[in-house]
Amino acid sequence: MSKKILLAEDDEDNRDLVSFVLQRSRLGAELVIAENGQEAVDKAIEHLPSLILMDMQMPVMDGWTAIPILKGDSRTKHIPIIAFTAQAKPEDKLRTLEIGCAEHYSKPMDPEELIALIRKYLAD
Amino acid sequence: MNSPSGAPDKAAAKQCLLAADRFLKESRFQEARTEIEKAKKLDPANVYVVAFLDRINYFEAQKKKEAGPVAAAPPPVAPQAAAPTPVAVAPARPAAPTASAPPAMKPAPAAAPPKPAAQVVPPQPPVVTPPPAAIASTPRPKEVSADPVPTPAEQKAMEATLEEMKRQIQMLSHSLEVEKKAREEMTNQQLESNVRQLRNSFEKSWMNGAPNDAEAAELHKLAVSLSIPENVEQSLRREVKLKMYSNAVKEVIAKRQLLRSSSSTFEWLRKVYQVTMEEYLEYETKFLLDLVADQYKGTVLYVSPNVKTKDELIPRLKSAGYAVVLSGSPEEALEKIEKVNPNLILCHTEFSAGSLSGIKFLHLLRATVKFNFIPFILLCQESEVAQLQSSELRHHEGFLKKPVDVEELMIAMNEKLAHFRDYVSSLS
Repeated sequence: MSKKILLAEDDEDNRDLVSFVLQRSRLGAELVIAENGQEAVDKAIEHLPSLILMDMQMPVMDGWTAIPILKGDSRTKHIPIIAFTAQAKPEDKLRTLEIGCAEHYSKPMDPEELIALIRKYLAD
Repeated sequence: MNSPSGAPDKAAAKQCLLAADRFLKESRFQEARTEIEKAKKLDPANVYVVAFLDRINYFEAQKKKEAGPVAAAPPPVAPQAAAPTPVAVAPARPAAPTASAPPAMKPAPAAAPPKPAAQVVPPQPPVVTPPPAAIASTPRPKEVSADPVPTPAEQKAMEATLEEMKRQIQMLSHSLEVEKKAREEMTNQQLESNVRQLRNSFEKSWMNGAPNDAEAAELHKLAVSLSIPENVEQSLRREVKLKMYSNAVKEVIAKRQLLRSSSSTFEWLRKVYQVTMEEYLEYETKFLLDLVADQYKGTVLYVSPNVKTKDELIPRLKSAGYAVVLSGSPEEALEKIEKVNPNLILCHTEFSAGSLSGIKFLHLLRATVKFNFIPFILLCQESEVAQLQSSELRHHEGFLKKPVDVEELMIAMNEKLAHFRDYVSSLS
């Protein structure tokens, strides 16, 4: 059974780009898409992915709210989450780590770097 | 049996010959001979009487051969001593060709006697002509008779036979040619269909990058099963790979604002699609056109000794909308220039020992009609500026001192390109 990656991202272009990169990474992982934090929580519980890429600024429910929910749920608390955000300040990075993210990845993305990061967490 | 007046009864003789012909057709040889004897008596000078006897003998012998071994050949017929007089006679039935040559009808004498005035129907020698069907199957020239000099009639018959044979050979050759073409067309159509099938499989496999080893092996197996030659397979693979790479480049161009760096993304894509540096350089202009599709300003051939190391000018040029083709030396630039057809050349002055200098490269280009008007900017050392200003260059050649101010370079490039555009426009 292939591993799953949940991408929570409200921007369609970003979703497409991550999908494009993952398809070409030959990781063999299935991508599950959520367009906001609430959907991310629901789909994480439903699919139990191996990794979550979470945009921090999203409508309905942002990443800052969704991540503590996921980390507080026994079914999803073990899933590594990469904060996928345009906020690149050191204090933002620190804050994402404080709420339980395994990594902080600043947009804009670099495909090779992103794949290396994903590969690292899928291998664990 | 002549007429009461003693004159030969040609009409009666003709009737006898016709009757003999009928008997011959029915293989009633004895009765045919009797008719011939009658004809001989009625018209002793009739030349066809002897010829007819020959025919009877021949067909009788053939008949016997068919039935079983023949004890003796038919007796030869003595040649007619008297000069023959042509008579009106119905054309004899054509003899079927056989392995042994049929005895030719006794040929008419070389110098035929004058035709009697009363003769209405011209004498028609019973030419032995193989039936068309027989010709078609095994055309065989009529064997020459013992007479070393063939008569005109014989010659004519042989020529006709040869002509017919030639015609049939031509027809056969034509048919074979048509069949060959049809087979070739079928083969080509089959090959095209196979190539199409392999291309589809390649495209599917290369959609998201180079296939893994197992997929690649499957593709090769498919090519072998479709009888596609290895060189065609390789060329197809390369074509599909570059197409898929190009499509991927186009896809990310639209989202380049989401990428940290376009150039590193394209480098990654080159790895994903296993596009070699050689292939990339070959197609670079096209790919870079994709990259800067909405802001393409032209192609720059950048000649720099630092192309293999980090040269910060390259990404600046690319981000400014130029497709940049790199050369590590003027010699390499000369190799690429025709293929690249640059809008502008940007060249350093100093290269490694043994290489042309940038100035010599410029002089070389200006001495070549084809490259005489390509806008050129030299990137020189500060110490060279005075020298360049004084004499070495024509006044309109551009140069900038290093370290290059990018803004200044962009202005200089725009000026050169504008000047070149004006020049080209003035030609039309």
